[in-house]
Amino acid sequence: MSPHHPNPSSLKSRFTTRFLRALTKINAQNPISSSSPREILQRFRRIKVAADKSMAYSVRSRRTWSRAMRWKLRSRSWRQASSVRRLKITTSCHQAIMKKTAHERENKTTTGEGVGFGVQTDELRELVPGGEAMDLCNLLDETAHYIKCLTTQVQVMRKIVDFYSP
Amino acid sequence: MATGDNDDVGFKDRHESLMNCPSSQINTNPVSDKVNGMAMSSISMYNKPSNASDSFFGSGWDPIVSLSQSESLVGSSMVSHSEFANSHYPLLMENQGISSTSHFSQYQSDPSFVELVPKLPGFGSGNLSEMVGPFSLPQCGQIANSKCPQNYALNTEVGNERTCTNSTQSRDEHQLSDEGVVGASPNGKRRKRVPESNSPLRSYQNADEEPQKDPSGESSDVPKEQDEKKQKTEQITGVNSRGKQVAKQAKDSSQTGEAPKENYIHVRARRGQATNSHSLAERVRREKISERMRLLQELVPGCNKITGKAVMLDEIINYVQSLQQQVEFLSMKLATVNPELNIDLERVLSKDILHSRGGSAGILGFGPGLNSSHPFPPGIFPGTISGVPSTNPQFPPLPQTVLDNELQSLLQMGFDSNSAMDSLGPNAGRLKSEL
Repeated sequence: MSPHHPNPSSLKSRFTTRFLRALTKINAQNPISSSSPREILQRFRRIKVAADKSMAYSVRSRRTWSRAMRWKLRSRSWRQASSVRRLKITTSCHQAIMKKTAHERENKTTTGEGVGFGVQTDELRELVPGGEAMDLCNLLDETAHYIKCLTTQVQVMRKIVDFYSP
Repeated sequence: MATGDNDDVGFKDRHESLMNCPSSQINTNPVSDKVNGMAMSSISMYNKPSNASDSFFGSGWDPIVSLSQSESLVGSSMVSHSEFANSHYPLLMENQGISSTSHFSQYQSDPSFVELVPKLPGFGSGNLSEMVGPFSLPQCGQIANSKCPQNYALNTEVGNERTCTNSTQSRDEHQLSDEGVVGASPNGKRRKRVPESNSPLRSYQNADEEPQKDPSGESSDVPKEQDEKKQKTEQITGVNSRGKQVAKQAKDSSQTGEAPKENYIHVRARRGQATNSHSLAERVRREKISERMRLLQELVPGCNKITGKAVMLDEIINYVQSLQQQVEFLSMKLATVNPELNIDLERVLSKDILHSRGGSAGILGFGPGLNSSHPFPPGIFPGTISGVPSTNPQFPPLPQTVLDNELQSLLQMGFDSNSAMDSLGPNAGRLKSEL
């Protein structure tokens, strides 16, 4: 049933390799034996970021949500690097983008998207990274792809967890 | 209409075949000859018992390639259908009341029928029945769609007789059409709609004017057809509304006769709908959206029975939220449980992950709207509890106990990322103090 040689360049394998590499790095930085709760929290945050990052970068086809996620992660890392100049640039860029997307959103709602589920659409937009700038049609597309990637992510991470806690 | 008359004569002689292929009259337009040939040859394959049809349907099968481009032919074919039905149907119905049903069931079970399906280009999987439908069953919708204004007068007359044959063909298509339009090629738009209109026609008109044939008798054969036709019809949506329009109004063929064409996608105006470009674009958009919703319905587990965009969107939102929470939970678990990960382990682990299966059990077990913590603890608890007595050399006992306790408390609190974080902190602190 299962393929003997899975597709080496599938989303799953790409994500797996990237994520494991990131995990190794994180574990190398924080040896677990000396973890305090605070450090555990820190590690958790880093691992979460690493998971999202690996997923966003494993997506081969340039999807809007992956692009938005990459942008978010990059801006966050820039912020953490505390470079004031970079921060200014990113925030101004972000503001420009947000204005544009708000404008687009207005346009889309006025041009008769009116199929009657505005509230849920907004919720979905919040969930899917980069969903604010998409009309409903593309949003549904992105959601489908995002769901697929999320399920891959959960599968891989769960297998890792099971591996280490038999 | 000379060719049409000839066909009529020919059909009279072979009324048997006519019952099964009422589309044989499709010769009103010269363009429709190809379609006629296609329909006839297609139907001839079904009607093996009717030998007469074979000679008549020698028009050849090549025109089938042009079917995808011959939208107009469908309409024109409908015209001839109506004519035919007018003249012959009542007679035939009386004589062939039973044979037609048997014929229908026969060609349903005919393997050639099934083989025929993939040959039709430009249809997707739902092609053959769509093709056969319009040809074999004169319908109001088809007539309306046709470009021949002469259809107009025939619509009302045909309505009565049409329902009988409509019922068999439309019933199975209607029942098979649970998928809805999958946004197939716009060229097929008209054809897709046509067979769909059969079912509403049947439901509306059968009650009104009961033809000589008993539709219930036919419908008994329909289930057989349904099973085999299931693979063919996939794009039948929203018919009922349009069917209503079709059933009620036997007019405004001129309204849909013109096909306003967009720049990129060739969209045909359906019967009874506005034909200006705005509403057409709207309709295309809406169909795209419904197609995407259908894809999402397949992705989200347990959403097969849900109909309605609003409910579906709710489910999608819940599912995405739960997936994100699962990722967060798993990353937290990794943060607490993960031992050193050297390169060899990494390789082994990656191979294990990629080759093994069944990892999605937890995800699949997640019912829509269910709290994500519900499927999780049963899966996680065995891992954490067993971790306590296990002699994992990589873990010093103290942190392990702490970690397991933390995880257990985390699970008991239900999975909420915020609360989990909160509980992790104070619990860990409490545990440490106790220890």
